[in-house]
Amino acid sequence: MPQTGDYLMFLLTTAWLLPLVGFVIEMYWLCWSHRLSKGAAYFAVGFIGAGFVCSLLALLIWGGATGWSALSGHHGADAGHHAAAHNDGDHAEHHADDHAVAGHATEHATPVKKYYAGTYYELARFGSLRLSLDWYIDSLTLVMFTMVTFIATCIHLFAIGYMHDELTEEYEDHEVHMHGGGHFSRPGRFYLFFAYLSLFCFSMLGLVLAGNIFQVFIFWELVGICSYLLIGFYIERNSASTAANKAFIMNRVGDFGFLIGLMIIWTSFGTFQFADTDSHDSPEAGLFTMIRGHDGRLDVSEDGKQVYLRDASGHRAEQNGQPRTITYLLLVAAGLGVFAGSIGKSAQFPLQTWLPDAMEGPTPVSALVHSATMVAAGVYLAGRFYPMFTPEVLLGIAYIGCITLFVAATIALVVTDIKRVLAYSTISQLGYMMLAIGVGGWGAGLFHLVTHAFFKSLMFLCSGSVIAGCHHVQDMSRMGGLRHKMKITAYTMLIGVMAIAGLAIPGTSIGFSGFYSKDAIVASALAYYELNNAHFLLFITPLVTAGITSFYMFRLWFLTFAGQPRDQHVYDHCHENPKIMTIPLIALAIFAAGCAWGGEGGPLFRLIADSELVPAVERVVSVGASKVTLPSHQGHDSDVHHVHATAGMLALISAFIGMGLAYLMYVQKSIRPSDIRRQFSSVYDFLLDKWRFDDLYEVMFVQPVHIVAAWCVSFDRKVLDAILHGSAKITVLVSGWDRKFDETMVDGLVNLVGTVTFSIGSSLKVIQTGRLRQYIMWIGVAVVVLFGALITAIPK
Amino acid sequence: MDFQALLQQFLSKGVAHQASTFDSLWIFLPELVLSSSIILMLLARLTNVDRTIPTHWIALLGGMSSFMIVLYQFWQISLPDAIPVQIFTGLAMHDPFSIFFRGFLTFFLVFVIVLTVLTGIPDDEDAPDFYSLLSGAVIGMMLMSSANHLLMLFLGIEMASVPSYALTGFLKGRRQSSEAALKFVVYGAGAAGVMLFGISLLAGLLGTAEFPQLASRFQAVFAGREVMQDPAARCVLLALLMIAVGFAFKLSAVPFHFWCPDAFQGASAEVGGFLSIGSKAAAFALLVRFTLSLTGDSTGASQGLALTCGLGLGFLATLTATFGNLAAYSQRNMKRMLAYSTIAHAGYMLMAVSALLVLQSGNAGPDAAYRAIQGLLYYLCVYLFMNLGAFAIVAFIRNQTFSEEIEDYKGLSHQAPVLAIGMAICLFSLVGIPPLGGFYGKAFIFAALFDATRVHWFMWVVLVAGGVNTVISLFYYLRVAKYMCMYERPADAPAVAMPSNSSPGMYVMLLSGMVVFLGIIINPLANVALRAAHAFL
Repeated sequence: MPQTGDYLMFLLTTAWLLPLVGFVIEMYWLCWSHRLSKGAAYFAVGFIGAGFVCSLLALLIWGGATGWSALSGHHGADAGHHAAAHNDGDHAEHHADDHAVAGHATEHATPVKKYYAGTYYELARFGSLRLSLDWYIDSLTLVMFTMVTFIATCIHLFAIGYMHDELTEEYEDHEVHMHGGGHFSRPGRFYLFFAYLSLFCFSMLGLVLAGNIFQVFIFWELVGICSYLLIGFYIERNSASTAANKAFIMNRVGDFGFLIGLMIIWTSFGTFQFADTDSHDSPEAGLFTMIRGHDGRLDVSEDGKQVYLRDASGHRAEQNGQPRTITYLLLVAAGLGVFAGSIGKSAQFPLQTWLPDAMEGPTPVSALVHSATMVAAGVYLAGRFYPMFTPEVLLGIAYIGCITLFVAATIALVVTDIKRVLAYSTISQLGYMMLAIGVGGWGAGLFHLVTHAFFKSLMFLCSGSVIAGCHHVQDMSRMGGLRHKMKITAYTMLIGVMAIAGLAIPGTSIGFSGFYSKDAIVASALAYYELNNAHFLLFITPLVTAGITSFYMFRLWFLTFAGQPRDQHVYDHCHENPKIMTIPLIALAIFAAGCAWGGEGGPLFRLIADSELVPAVERVVSVGASKVTLPSHQGHDSDVHHVHATAGMLALISAFIGMGLAYLMYVQKSIRPSDIRRQFSSVYDFLLDKWRFDDLYEVMFVQPVHIVAAWCVSFDRKVLDAILHGSAKITVLVSGWDRKFDETMVDGLVNLVGTVTFSIGSSLKVIQTGRLRQYIMWIGVAVVVLFGALITAIPK
Repeated sequence: MDFQALLQQFLSKGVAHQASTFDSLWIFLPELVLSSSIILMLLARLTNVDRTIPTHWIALLGGMSSFMIVLYQFWQISLPDAIPVQIFTGLAMHDPFSIFFRGFLTFFLVFVIVLTVLTGIPDDEDAPDFYSLLSGAVIGMMLMSSANHLLMLFLGIEMASVPSYALTGFLKGRRQSSEAALKFVVYGAGAAGVMLFGISLLAGLLGTAEFPQLASRFQAVFAGREVMQDPAARCVLLALLMIAVGFAFKLSAVPFHFWCPDAFQGASAEVGGFLSIGSKAAAFALLVRFTLSLTGDSTGASQGLALTCGLGLGFLATLTATFGNLAAYSQRNMKRMLAYSTIAHAGYMLMAVSALLVLQSGNAGPDAAYRAIQGLLYYLCVYLFMNLGAFAIVAFIRNQTFSEEIEDYKGLSHQAPVLAIGMAICLFSLVGIPPLGGFYGKAFIFAALFDATRVHWFMWVVLVAGGVNTVISLFYYLRVAKYMCMYERPADAPAVAMPSNSSPGMYVMLLSGMVVFLGIIINPLANVALRAAHAFL
């Protein structure tokens, strides 16, 4: 009798592997079809669409198995939470921070299975260390699957229209200038684009489904490769190939940290698996149980230097009678290492500079890979790996996110390339998610991940629609007034803009998806600030940045779609795109506006928050060096709940201020942007230079590397070569002697062996006379001889 | 005896672990299917049906369906409550080991038939004869692999041999072929005579011809005596030695290998491939079963016997491997070189049997013995692909250049890369270079030898001889590869064309692909081999 887990596994595995089939078919498209056929695209759409159907089915099955708790709100775990809240309320004075009560309550909260996990295939087992292909399915996995497949389907459809000009035998690339003055031309690569997209989908889904951190790493690198291929899709353009290299190399920097984290985990824990294995007679604890046990708490020794590991039953694990421990600092290092991978992939400070350059890829790629899914994988990893993070690591994550969201937002204020504005906004929003995870708002961060995926992919597709409509003009200073010509694009874009700005109708709880998710983040940050006053920046920055976000997003919309056309030529030739490009926009717009319906009481948030393994029910006082307190989240008595209304109002005010400013500056023109530019010219230049990060890295890393390389070269030439030449001379001298020895003695010996074996062989031929009579005689002789030998040599 | 009693006997179970005659017939179904396919082929010829239905389809159908039946039997015996049974009142044995070999042989038959279809060696006129002989020989080999009685031993060997003689001389017009066949027949008759003498001696001394009783009778007869010094025991040894002559003839072990190079050079490459693999595998199956039955549990009197047999076989194995490799050196004819190479490989495989017996005598426990058998079986399976691959390529090249001289292989890699690469893979695997299948076959056998060194020092000699032989075999195999790949094709040499998508090209790729596969994915086959080995002890 197959269980729910088996159904889920089967469906998601199908959804995961279908794009791989698509990839193989499309990669060898020219073997069975021709370059001008759109078939490759239909295959890609079909497979990813089927994947979406599978994911949706899985989601429904999950809903059925959990009794639709996400909709009704009466969940086993929630019941436990309520009980905890109830208990706390009754004995607030005595038990405010009493772990025993809360722990007791959470133990009650386990009857409904929170996740399903298993192993596809065990690759190898070295003693107690094992390496396998696993799967891990919880509601987060399901949400990610559904979201990724849905967005990917929309973007695939959009790309059929967008990449249409590749359907040719002779594609002329206007951005590549040849020496002769003409443009570079090459055969179109329509099928190849879809092959890469399919490979990407496969990798991304594999990353989400992976059941151990090593497998995550494998797919992590695979999506990296896909990103590299897709950024460099117009490989002949210098800018594209440079950007692809930059993205790839900067990601490797982060992955270096990831690898270190993996090594620490491998040596300290001996497993990569997230979940416990229960298929064997003796269950083995996965990473999460080892660190957090069943009550979600780090078991730190008295002196704070060791963390006790737990076994599968949640008790302290023992090895040879000694409790198994990991040094606290090592655990911090492992967490930071894995997070370094996230920094690279999610373009967080200080590795954020690759993402804007990655916009060299075709716009559907920017929408799918570089905003909605792949770059969000860093956040996803941070969320998935959350139980392994110590409070110090979380604090680091929070500050990294905080810096990133501010830096990126300020740059977005001054950029005029439509795609780059969106790119910086992506970085900034990813910073929000990281910040949320860092301040303990696990659900809020991943909530924002999903809502952001919808509205950001929508906006990228809209910008792609604009770019396609305006014949590859990307500079907003040449646009304006396009809403008259591109109605669907303009208004779907407006929905996206309002969603990311987080607008809502004040006083009611009706708002765009961004409102709810950003509100959740700001509320977490505020609750965190109230408990840890020293970290006030973690609240102020996102609040201010919410205004900045709203400002630059409306600036983008006003510059592009409102006002008068600034470049008549562009305006005249601009047109709305065919249906295949606009229908995905509408579909995405619906989700961008409404996917977060209900906010933190709504289905999406509940679904995500269901899979949180570390209970954020009660306040957690950190025991580490940093002494931070994580706010409590669920229930009506929680820290976050108290500040929710305040935070929401503040964020909304901030957003409205930003929107109003944008309106005044770019529509009313009552404030002239050029005046401000002149007034703050140094700041403006600083922002325009992207905070001079590229120059900084040039000075800090690139030039030193060049200098060191030059040293190495001269060292090589002057010292090493001299030694080499000297030793070469000596070698020649010695080898002269050696040769004589070799020719006379060794060769003689070898030749002797060769001659002897050969002559034995030849002499053996002599026995094979070919005379039958002799052969038969040999039988008799051999029997007699062998018998004689046997009798004499019998072991006594 | 009235009819009722006869029927009763036909259907009744009889003794424990014995199947009734009726059940035995069911178990015997693969052989019966092959037999009926022979009859069908001959009938088809008689009624001229073979003009419309090519004979090889009938042969192929027979081979495949009996392979399927064997597969089904293997599945059936793998069920938890299945037990091995003796069939036909104890004449033959039905256990995983015999099923493994029957499967091996029928599988191999299918491959050989496909090869002959691709090379077209029997023309339409001769096809029914050829395939009847081929299938008949396979039936004999299957009998060998399940024989459980001295009589069946002799019958099986003869039944496998007689069609082989005819197959060797099948190229009727060629003098060389007829000469080879004649030598083969006469030599085979001589060896069979000696073996029969040995069989009658043994049966007379022990008073039984049934395998399962050999060991207990031996222990009963020689209980309490200083075994190996006893004159009667020496008589047993002489009998065993004479039986060994028959085995050595089938295995082409030195010094009873004289027929082999001549027969292989005279016969067509397809037949050479068939003889070198099929009859060898069957002979090993029979040898393992016979020696293990003879030594039984290796206690008391049998212990010395097992050790003596093991060391004797080890000595023969060393001699065979060394001689085969050395003699292969100076060969210029590819088939003749491969003939010596098969002699050498018989030596390697014989080492596994020797290790098995020595381990038995040292009471090293069943696991070590299982490993030795497992090694032998794995080696045989790899050997099927690599040796058949080599012979097949020789046949394909012969069809185009009409030459089997190594000189004429110069520069083939430029004209027919598939053949050159396939040949290189097969040869490298014959040497035993990782990661090809041959490496693991050798590794298994050498591991068993190493285990056996704990029992008797002489196994060190065998082990070292095996290692040294592996090294020196490198040179003559590599010479062929060198000729194929390192030289330019001479201008006057006939051109060879073998596109990789032609069916011969696919066939070569399949075989060499399997060689590579067995070198990478080891466990499945090794597990099956282990299960077959569990039939004993």
